[in-house]
Amino acid sequence: MIRLLNVSMMPPGVGQPVLRNLTLTVPKGEFRWLLGPSGAGKSSLLRLLTLETRPSAGQMDLLGVSVSQASRSTLRNLRRRIGFVPQDYRLIGEWTVFDNVALPLRLRGASERDTRREAFAVLEWLDVVHLADKRPGTLSGGEQQRAAIARALIGRPELLLADEPTNALEDAQARRLLSTFQELVDMGTTVIVATHNEALVREAPAKSIDLRDGSLADPAPQDEPALHRSGTL
Amino acid sequence: MSAPVSPGLRSGSLPLLVALMTLLAGLSLAGLTGVQTLAEGWSSAARNATTIEIPSDTPQLEDRTHTLVQTLHRTAEVTNVRELSPQQVQTLLAPWLGQVSSSGHLPGLSLPVVLIVAHTGTPDLGAVVHEALPEAVVEEDRRWGERLNGLGSSLVACAWLAVSLIAAIAVLSVGMTVRRSVMAQRKAVEIVHFLGAGDLTISSRIAGRAALLSLAGGLTGLLFLSPVITMLARKLAPFSHEATPPLPTNTWTDMFASWWATLHVLPRMLLEELGALPLIAACLGWMTAQTVVLVWLRRLP
Repeated sequence: MIRLLNVSMMPPGVGQPVLRNLTLTVPKGEFRWLLGPSGAGKSSLLRLLTLETRPSAGQMDLLGVSVSQASRSTLRNLRRRIGFVPQDYRLIGEWTVFDNVALPLRLRGASERDTRREAFAVLEWLDVVHLADKRPGTLSGGEQQRAAIARALIGRPELLLADEPTNALEDAQARRLLSTFQELVDMGTTVIVATHNEALVREAPAKSIDLRDGSLADPAPQDEPALHRSGTL
Repeated sequence: MSAPVSPGLRSGSLPLLVALMTLLAGLSLAGLTGVQTLAEGWSSAARNATTIEIPSDTPQLEDRTHTLVQTLHRTAEVTNVRELSPQQVQTLLAPWLGQVSSSGHLPGLSLPVVLIVAHTGTPDLGAVVHEALPEAVVEEDRRWGERLNGLGSSLVACAWLAVSLIAAIAVLSVGMTVRRSVMAQRKAVEIVHFLGAGDLTISSRIAGRAALLSLAGGLTGLLFLSPVITMLARKLAPFSHEATPPLPTNTWTDMFASWWATLHVLPRMLLEELGALPLIAACLGWMTAQTVVLVWLRRLP
């Protein structure tokens, strides 16, 4: 579960907060679109949720851990339970796709046999298994994005965050990714996807976190029970 | 090769830097050992010797000198009494008096009789000599020993200071190389950190590589050092009690045999210190890299 209570975020050197008094709750095993125009604070919220920064003010609980007071080792363990698909992929250029994808499992201390099995399974599912030995720099944008998705999905994270994960994907691949998100939600994973793609949102309607100028555009619906919709999610 | 869980170290010129530092440290240690050995030798020789001068105008010079030598021989702790020949005395005084004539006499100046007494411990030779021959002058060489000891100690301190400075420069060089490497791979380091890599996981991989490269640099430095040390050992051979092997001849086998024999002449302590240099370099490299990376990682949440 994610719970933010009056959370503000003011990066160093920036005169005004990029997130202001944000209060929201996302229960375990739910999906949320993260919407809003450029500069609304989507990336800042994702940075908070991926623990790349801590809130300047307010209380943030993530997967049962109070982030504001958490120790360094607690944050490290918490990060291992989170999967993230960054918009810029963030793959390590000197490593192969396989090593990039296998990293989260290796950090958790999984055996090399299990790591190989899981990594090849997820690479195969994303149609990039033939790229396992390639360096990210030699791949197209779509292939790099799928490698980044594979790294986020491996080991079934409890919280999955994605920043424009379908940007470089073809329509069929995007639909397939959405169905994967649905499967993860069904297994109890909390999924938050930031997107500008209105068509995608229309295709898979679900509850959303709508940001405007660092605040929720409409705070009330966040705590309401899920609406029955006709979409996939 | 183990599976990567963190970026490694971009070595740059680290092995070369460590090799140079090892070379300098080795030379300093060799100098230190040389100074220590020479100072101890001089000091010991001076501490256990006394010079007695008997003026040439002493009445019954020969008989009384003979009596004094007999008395000294009977004195406890005296191991040897040697009378210098007039030629030896002239040679000793040559720096002050210049070369004398071939007849062995200086016009208007007669040379004293000089006795060199070797002894163990510190017998009171002054009292013995003055009782037997009051005209004699006793010069305790111990004072020179103390002065030489002081000189030796200050040279040893200088050598240690040089070794410490070299170690400090080596640490600084490794630290800067590691920091540059981390900065160059900042993105990769942040990726693994935000995926949940522990600080020690990241720092240990970089430190392990730094230690390996430092070890390689240390061994290379030692390789460059050995001919220099061999050459210095040969230059210093006249000051040493150890026998020096003959100079190398034309064949490589002979040259190697000569080099090997010269290494065996070097003090065992020095050889052990030189052998430990690559390991010390590796340890310093590991500790420095760990510290630099761990401090750098503290800026990440």
